[in-house]
Amino acid sequence: MRQLPCPFCGARELREFVFHKTLPAAASATADASADEFARTYLRVADPQLSVEHWQHVHGCRAWLLVRRNPSTGAVLAVQMLSGTAP
Amino acid sequence: MSALPASARHYSAWSLLRARFAGSGYWRPLWAGRKLKPAYDVVIVGAGGHGLASAFHLARDQGMRRIAVLEKRLVGYGNVGRNTTIVRSNYLLPENHYFYEDSLRRWETLSHDLNYNVMYSPRGVVDLALTDDSMLALARRGNAMRLAGIDAELLDLAALERFAPELEARRKRRFPIVGALLQRRGGTVRHDAVAWGYARAASALGVDIIEDCEVTGVRTAGNAATGVESTRGYVQADRVVFATAGHTGMIGAMLGTPLPIETHLLQAMVSEPIKPLINSVYVYVSPGHGETYICQSDRGGLVMGGHLDGFPSYTREGVWHRLEDVVQGALELFPRIGGVKILRQWAGTNDMTMDGSPIMDRLRYDNVFVNAGWCYGGFKAIPASGAAFAKFVASGTAPDLIRAYRLSRFASGHLLDEPGQGPFPVRL
Repeated sequence: MRQLPCPFCGARELREFVFHKTLPAAASATADASADEFARTYLRVADPQLSVEHWQHVHGCRAWLLVRRNPSTGAVLAVQMLSGTAP
Repeated sequence: MSALPASARHYSAWSLLRARFAGSGYWRPLWAGRKLKPAYDVVIVGAGGHGLASAFHLARDQGMRRIAVLEKRLVGYGNVGRNTTIVRSNYLLPENHYFYEDSLRRWETLSHDLNYNVMYSPRGVVDLALTDDSMLALARRGNAMRLAGIDAELLDLAALERFAPELEARRKRRFPIVGALLQRRGGTVRHDAVAWGYARAASALGVDIIEDCEVTGVRTAGNAATGVESTRGYVQADRVVFATAGHTGMIGAMLGTPLPIETHLLQAMVSEPIKPLINSVYVYVSPGHGETYICQSDRGGLVMGGHLDGFPSYTREGVWHRLEDVVQGALELFPRIGGVKILRQWAGTNDMTMDGSPIMDRLRYDNVFVNAGWCYGGFKAIPASGAAFAKFVASGTAPDLIRAYRLSRFASGHLLDEPGQGPFPVRL
C-alpha cells in the first residue's frame, strides 16, 4: 500500500494520512452496556480480508475518512468521508 | 550444564578442532527431520522463539517427552529472524522489569545452556534524551530499575562522551543531546542463532519439529481441546499451545474468541557492511519525526529500526516513509554514515496488545494456552517466556513471574500500559 485515494484530493501518498483506529467488527448485542463498551474498546475479531478504519488526511484536506482495506494484500477497498459518528 | 544427550554432537573447542580434520561429513543437521506422530502430550503451534523455547523447557525442566512443534513455514521465518537483535530489561513497570530482567539473566548464560553460541554481546543499550523532559522520564525509569536491583546509569553529557565517543554527544545539532540512560548489560544477540540453538537443543531432547505444517483448526470436546487439524492431518494433543505472534488474532477468530490484539507491521533494515563504528545500541527519539534504534552487527552492517508502520497489516512489506524516518534519525545521530547504502529492508507482523504488554494465559479451553501479544519486544523475552510458560503449561498454574500477563487484566482494569498511551495498539 503506497497511496490512499482521498475522496476530495484523489490518490495521495500514504504519508499524508494518519491512521486513527480500527473499528471492532461487530459490537455484541448483549444487554450489558459495560460489557459492550469493554468489547468495543479492547477486543478485535481478526479478519485477514477486511479491516475497517478511521484515518485522517492530516497533511491534505484534513478530512476524516472511513477506510475499508484488505490487510493481507494491502488493497484499498473503499474510502468515504466519515460522517455522523464522532471520531 | 548442557541439555544435549550423549548421542548429539556436543560443540566445544575440541569438537571444532576435530571438525577441522574430519572433513565435511563431521557436521550434522541441527535438528532432526522427524515425521508427525498421531498423538502428543503437548502440541505447540509456531516454531518461533517462544514456541521453540517453550518446547525446550517443557522437555528439559518439566520432564515432558511427547512434544511437537508445528510450523506453517520454516523455523526462524517469522519474527525471531526479523527483529533487530536487541536485548535489555530497562522497563518502568515492576511486572515488566522483573520479567525482562529474568530474561536478560538467562541471555547471559544461554550459549552454555543450549551448547550453541548465540553471540550475546553486552555492548550497552543507550536511550538518548534530547529534552530536559525526556531526561526526567529516563531518570524515573532508571530509578525504578535500580530499586529492583537492575543496572541502570543516568549519563550526563560528559559521561556519555566517555562511554560513546563515536556519538560526539556535544556536537552542534538541530536537536542537541542532553543526556542518556545506559544499561550496560543490555546489548545484542544473534537472532537466527537463537532459533537454531533452541531448535537443536529441543530436537536433541526428543521434540519433533515439523515444518511446512499449518494448523487449520482445533477439535474440542466440552471444555477441552482434543487435538488440532493440520495440513499434515489430525494430531491428538493433551495440551495445545499457540505461539503464533502476528497471527494470534486469527487463532482467536478460529476459536471464536475476540482478543485485545491487532496486527501491525514493524520494519527493520541493514546497511552494507562497514568497519566498526558504532559500539553500542542507541535509541533516539527525535522531536522532528520519530524513533530510530541503531547498532552494528558483527559483520559490520548497521542494523536499524523505528516505529511501527502505523496501521493493521499482514503484508510484511513496510511503508516507504517509515524507512525514510528511521534513516533520517540515523543520519541526525551519525552524519558520517550518509554515504552508506541500505542493503536489505524487511518487516514483521507484530501482535500489538491494547496495553503494549504480553498475554500468557489459557485461551477459551482448559488445555489451550496462548503465548502472544509480544508487540515489538518479543525477541528479548524469549528465554524467560520459554521457561515460565513451560512451567505454566506443565503444572496448569502460572508462575508469579507471568501472572500479571493474564488475559483477564483488560476486563478488570489491571493494565500494564508501559508507555501510558491508553487502550490503543499504536499511537504515533
